[in-house]
Amino acid sequence: MKEGFRQAMAWLHTWAGLTFGWLLFAIFMTGTLSYFKNEITQWTQPEIVPHEISAADGVNRAQQWLGENAPDAKRWFIRLPDERSPELGVSWTPAKGRFEERSLDSLTGVPVQVRQSMGGEFFYRFHFQLQMPYPWGRWLASLAAMVMFVALISGIITHKKIFKEFFTFRPRKGQRTWLDGHNAVAVLVLPFHLMITYSSLVIFMTMIMPLSILTTYGKNTQGVFDDLFPAFKTEQAAADRAPLASIAPMFEVAAEKWPGSRVGLITVNNPGSANASVTMTRHGADHIPHEPGTALVFDGVSAELKNESNMGAASLMLAGGLYGLHMGHFAGPLLRWLYFLAGIGGTAMIGTGLVIWLGKRRLKHAKSGVLPFELRLVEMLNVASMSGLMLAVVSFFWANRLLPVSFTGRSDWEVKTFFCVWGVALLHAFARVFLRDGRSAWREQLTLAALLYCALPILDMATAGGYLLASLKQGNLTLVALDMTALATGIFLAWGALRFRGDGKIVLASKLTPAVQEAR
Amino acid sequence: MLLATLLCYVGFSALCLSMNRHSEDLTGRSFSVSRAKALRLLGWAALLASLWVALASQTLGQALVQWSAALMGSAVVLVFVMSYWPRLALSLAGVGVLLCPVFAFLQLLA
Repeated sequence: MKEGFRQAMAWLHTWAGLTFGWLLFAIFMTGTLSYFKNEITQWTQPEIVPHEISAADGVNRAQQWLGENAPDAKRWFIRLPDERSPELGVSWTPAKGRFEERSLDSLTGVPVQVRQSMGGEFFYRFHFQLQMPYPWGRWLASLAAMVMFVALISGIITHKKIFKEFFTFRPRKGQRTWLDGHNAVAVLVLPFHLMITYSSLVIFMTMIMPLSILTTYGKNTQGVFDDLFPAFKTEQAAADRAPLASIAPMFEVAAEKWPGSRVGLITVNNPGSANASVTMTRHGADHIPHEPGTALVFDGVSAELKNESNMGAASLMLAGGLYGLHMGHFAGPLLRWLYFLAGIGGTAMIGTGLVIWLGKRRLKHAKSGVLPFELRLVEMLNVASMSGLMLAVVSFFWANRLLPVSFTGRSDWEVKTFFCVWGVALLHAFARVFLRDGRSAWREQLTLAALLYCALPILDMATAGGYLLASLKQGNLTLVALDMTALATGIFLAWGALRFRGDGKIVLASKLTPAVQEAR
Repeated sequence: MLLATLLCYVGFSALCLSMNRHSEDLTGRSFSVSRAKALRLLGWAALLASLWVALASQTLGQALVQWSAALMGSAVVLVFVMSYWPRLALSLAGVGVLLCPVFAFLQLLA
């Protein structure tokens, strides 16, 4: 009976993993990149230079600029520069028309002439919206997260020797090594995998499990958010006009209320009207839980503290804690790198799983050397979803440096480049896997990707060397760190490409035999 | 946090040595049953001590997050180093044992 249960779980693990593995690989990969979202944006928009300024100076400049350029807006948003993002960001919802945003130079308060690029935001958005229309991408990503959770749990049950083989990794043994690697990266980083998968479901809980909200609030679903986040309730602008008070002095109140914490997003509702209000949230880097509802609301005219809301309820703390752990806004440099490495671990777990699925089934056809259609299909998707995605990611960065700086729609073209390259990689994988063999598909894509990653620092120096030098002089290592990470990735991919030298048939047989014997 | 990480690494190394298959790979011999038991005890004690050290040096939330990171990170490092350079893995554990009192002293001073 027990063996039967374990076998059922193994079946579940195998097929859940296969069907969603390709999508999950992309979600994990881009999610991992999102831990350096702001740093990637710094690289893709090197025109924005960090300056040492006080929060009061920053907000004064932003308020002045918005007052002159968007006096009739419904709402202003101000985001101060911090250690990860040099931008003094202002955005606003005009009385009529679309949401607009600008990056101000934090020293002069004038918009920076900056190249259009989504930067890290693109990878971040893709990892839960999958470039699909709202809300379908979020639903598909949530479904993938649920399958990931199922695969994790069934994987734990399937893995018979979780403690006995806790420290086991046997290199250079073909299929055995892949399985060891899959297990090691899964078990050793299991707390991260469980946290990241479960919290992703918690983040979307109001979308996935709306019933409790629907029974209480009926059709007025906005009501729950008004109750949870009273500070963000929208009010109609009053007809009377009144000058907006200076925001900077409100920081002193915020510092008193939140000792040791900075102010994050500043929202100004109905600026210039008699019922204007200023809402401040806490900076995400200063505490672990994600608390979007913890806010201070000031009267926009008298500058007095009107309202204070906290997310103190235990259930909100729990959900906010998981949310915060997932996003990792609180993580300093070291912890952020560890988040990044753990994310790579998760991506590698999915990738090795896909490789193992194919490797096991390929054994049966090792003698004839001819793979049936369905296995070729899997191999094609493996190549396209892994090396193809690596190519797509690096091409995004290449497009950022090669597209002319001042050309409208360049931000869209970066994204188009990403998907075009990914599509071409899929076609290439198709042609190679079905007309020749999978090894050539891997070898060629990995070689090209290795070249592109290794050459990214050179491209950066050639096209934006001035920014790179200036940042180094300032002691800002973000740009050079991204270049070096690309170089390291390139070296790793080159090592991968070298494993696919030759036609591989002899290597395949000799590598697989011990594994077959051991399996018997 | 360095002390907690070192303790994690030392603890995992001890647990690893307490298992026959690994002790033969790492030291060339297997330990007696009582030695293995002692190593296992030492391993768990070091892991618990690392949690205690983490909790003592940080706020609760940060301590738990950083301790989890140390736990996962040190296990990954141990398994990786052990698979390719078994002697280095052992020497690292030895250095860890020697450094623990130093860091413990420094943490007490801080």
